[in-house]
Amino acid sequence: MRPLLPGELPFASRRLQVCVGAGGVGKTTLAAAIALRAAVAGRKALVCTIDPARRLADSLGLPELGHDRRRVPVERFAAAGLEPRGELWAMMLDLKRSWDELIARHAPSVEQRDRIYANRFYRQLSSALAGSQEYIAVEKLYELSQTTDYDLIVLDTPPTAHALDFLDAPNRVVDFLDNDAARWLLTPALAAGKIGLGLFGRGGGRLFRGISELTGAETLRELADFMLSLSGMYEGFKERAGKVKKLLASPEAGFVLVTTPKPLTVGEALQFHGALEKSGLAVGAVIANRVHADIRAAGGDELARAGRSDGLPEDLVRRIDRALSDARALRHGDEEQLARLRRAGIEPFALMRRDRDVHDLGALWSLTEPLAAKGDAA
Amino acid sequence: MPEPIEALDRLLDRRVLVLTGKGGVGKSSVTAALAALAARRGKRVLACEVNANDRLPALLGAPPAGPSLAELRPNLWSVDVRPHEAMLEYAQMKLHLPAIVRAVFENRLMRYFLRAIPSLAEVVILGKILFHAREREGERPRFDLVLVDAPATGHALALLRVPEVVGAAVPPGALADDMRWMRALLEDPAQTAINLVSLPEEMPVNETFQLERALRDVGLPLGVCFLNGVWPHRFAPGELDQLPPRPPWTEVRAAVSHLEARADLALSEAGRLRRGTDLPVIELPYLFDAPFGPPAIERLSLLLEGKLGVAA
Repeated sequence: MRPLLPGELPFASRRLQVCVGAGGVGKTTLAAAIALRAAVAGRKALVCTIDPARRLADSLGLPELGHDRRRVPVERFAAAGLEPRGELWAMMLDLKRSWDELIARHAPSVEQRDRIYANRFYRQLSSALAGSQEYIAVEKLYELSQTTDYDLIVLDTPPTAHALDFLDAPNRVVDFLDNDAARWLLTPALAAGKIGLGLFGRGGGRLFRGISELTGAETLRELADFMLSLSGMYEGFKERAGKVKKLLASPEAGFVLVTTPKPLTVGEALQFHGALEKSGLAVGAVIANRVHADIRAAGGDELARAGRSDGLPEDLVRRIDRALSDARALRHGDEEQLARLRRAGIEPFALMRRDRDVHDLGALWSLTEPLAAKGDAA
Repeated sequence: MPEPIEALDRLLDRRVLVLTGKGGVGKSSVTAALAALAARRGKRVLACEVNANDRLPALLGAPPAGPSLAELRPNLWSVDVRPHEAMLEYAQMKLHLPAIVRAVFENRLMRYFLRAIPSLAEVVILGKILFHAREREGERPRFDLVLVDAPATGHALALLRVPEVVGAAVPPGALADDMRWMRALLEDPAQTAINLVSLPEEMPVNETFQLERALRDVGLPLGVCFLNGVWPHRFAPGELDQLPPRPPWTEVRAAVSHLEARADLALSEAGRLRRGTDLPVIELPYLFDAPFGPPAIERLSLLLEGKLGVAA
């Protein structure tokens, strides 16, 4: 942790910020907005996004936002009336390519690397193994934290409703790659047709044959081949995954949990929050995004009276009254969800819903205004 | 293009209705509302969700169903299809060795192994759903209608393509046979319709277009597009200009303008959706007083019934 610069967001004292939350809550946009605040305050900041909306990439001035890091042009800031004291960089995380890089790093030879690349199991790894996308995102964060000199790295993550997919991912990936396990499991496939079904016992051998009837023996042989092709790499993977895990739990890293004030997403956010705390991971902020504005305008009889005295059409005033009461209902629903978070001991940062999508740096900047205000007050 | 009302009416005559779309567009709500509607009209309905923590029972005001079929109300069953349980069930059905199957499936390493087999989770999930769609009770089908609250776009595509993809990859045998009948059922427009759910917002509409194209490319039969959460337009252009520039109208105008801006956006995105899709679009209003939960589902279901007209 480190002291904040003036204008920095209150939770940005940790160098690595991981934005997590369900799909469609505005995680990617907020990740960019957090990095933008830091850049303007004087940091060299990087936002690593997963699947940015066209407009977000456009608003960063990066129409072809790619896997490589690119600096957001200074003119973009000027156009939004911002004077950055630092730098804003952005990149898009290509999950497949990140896996390829990971394999390339650990593979003892080019032949072994290519053998893995060509394997059908490898090609499906990222979708077949729950948490593998989450893992590769965090692995990328680790790599960036080690190999670059950014003052702040904000990581956007794949939509994750279940925190376990996130927290357990390093363990799962390591277990999956554990060669002892692979040998134990695949001995029957490797020894297919010979002996060696003993490890499963007779019933297990029958089961294995049964499974191979379902999946085709070829599938099992391919899996065995995949496991074998990873041999010699396990230690490296395990060590790395251990470091990734340690990084997440270190004082350098903090989580930003993003949600919307809707019953389903708040329910998921509460579970996520509980799981993070239980694992001893730091939650720097819970952001309730797209909260409806409070309605202070008069309604009912008061509005009707004012309408009459100002000579407004009765029908218009009635429709206005109806609209206001709908707006109040929206606000009321959001307040209930914010209260639900507070009852769980969470003080959320509430961000108001915008009438328009983020389409330039100015909009991205003003998005986090309420957060910055709290930081300055603190 | 068929009229939306007609389209909706014929929709309920299918055996399998899948609902998919971007995360957060209200797939579960529309699924629940359709389930309630079909059950009310006397169909025996199974509403399936995929590893989603019993959202459907909650939306229908019932206790969690879990991974086994549960009757939520007369004519309406629900199930949360979870990969691990579905795999266990599938293995037991095929291999007839319940005790050993359970022992092996509960082994931690075995779980990783099973997860690593490409598409196996999708095979057993879709397999379980379609198994119930074909299930018979004496002379008649056990369910008249199976609704699937499918995962979001990419995952849904992977799930629905499994019979085609896996069927092409495996050698002749039990699995290949299963893929064949699953594919035939899924690709038959008389029995199945894949329906999209969208919202009148930029990203959901874009994703609807992509998904529609992708589904068409792989030859899956499309049904309708439900456009959820449509905002009402309450004021004519410039109508609010006649409000005097003083209290309380300044504040009133600011508050109402937010709603109108949202309605404008909804209108333009709904227009873009209609222009860009070949599917009948069925609009569902945003429910201000009860946007979520059982009361909203009942309202949606009645609205949908209204759109069905009097046809019974």
